[in-house]
Amino acid sequence: MNSPRFSSVDEALVSLPRALQPAQDLWPRIAAQLGQQADAPAEPGPRRTVRAAGPQWPLALAASLAVIGLVGAVCWSVLRERAATELVARTATPAHAARTLVNFQPTHDADYVAARASLERVFNERLQLLAPATRTRVQADLEIIRKAQEDIRAALASDPASPLLQNLLQSTGQQEIQLYTSVNESTDPILMRRT
Amino acid sequence: MGGQDFEDLYRAHSGQVYGLCLRLTGQPALAEDCTQECFIRAWRALPSFEGRSQISTWLHRIAVNTVFGLRRQRPSDALREASVLDEAAEQVASGADAPGTTDIEAALGRLPQGARDVVVLVGIYGHSHEEAAGMLGIAIGTSKAQLHRGRRLLAQQLGIDMEAA
Repeated sequence: MNSPRFSSVDEALVSLPRALQPAQDLWPRIAAQLGQQADAPAEPGPRRTVRAAGPQWPLALAASLAVIGLVGAVCWSVLRERAATELVARTATPAHAARTLVNFQPTHDADYVAARASLERVFNERLQLLAPATRTRVQADLEIIRKAQEDIRAALASDPASPLLQNLLQSTGQQEIQLYTSVNESTDPILMRRT
Repeated sequence: MGGQDFEDLYRAHSGQVYGLCLRLTGQPALAEDCTQECFIRAWRALPSFEGRSQISTWLHRIAVNTVFGLRRQRPSDALREASVLDEAAEQVASGADAPGTTDIEAALGRLPQGARDVVVLVGIYGHSHEEAAGMLGIAIGTSKAQLHRGRRLLAQQLGIDMEAA
């Protein structure tokens, strides 16, 4: 067996598709099981019917899912501007992104608001240091993130207790922070002098 | 969350969950069972989901627990026949046009279970060693050692020179 197309094992592994489709649609079986679940998620009071509240929910979900895949590409694009292998290795890996997401727990306290505002201020300053094409892309993608946040907030207005919506909102907030951080780090004057 | 919303969640993530289960079990039928069970468990656990991780990571953790539960119930499944591995590799490869994919999936299926689990989680699904170790119930150092071992074995099987790479 030989796979000369790949020069490394890592390259071979990342070439594999993460998502695969089963031979049959499993949803009918799952739905049937869920329909029989006497111990479905405990919800106080009448069962929430999010779908009936309006069309925002699927829109919010779709927007958020689109954002999740988006920011990784943006960060990669931003970081690629520099031939700083060390910095790319340190900031553009999935592990780094995961740490950023895990560690970031948005709250509404004063410290968080101040820290976020500071991050955004530096981001707006550093944005001017990017190449025009990259800057345009970053700005466009930031708009998508903010639109997703608006959609999710609108859906949350109809279903404020939804844990999934809350998570989606948090995820988009994390993606926004991650984008700010990536741009700020990739344009950091000290780091740029080192490379 | 309503049923339709949960179906949206299923549609968005079922492909990755099934792919993960298939690669961990090596058997399409078992992978389907695990995927089904994973989403049923996710539905039950949804109220306790705190959002400390991404939804995909949370679902992957449930999927791994489901596969491990199955392994405990049916230990003979750990001893997989070559024909089953080939069947799984063919099914996996049918989802991609890239040449060599079948070889990689087949080689993956021949890895020792411990190494395969880590290679799948870290090498294919991009989890950190910390996440993978947490999912698999092993030390981070063990995860790193298993990845190194898995990569070395895969390189041998695929004819890749690790020194050159």
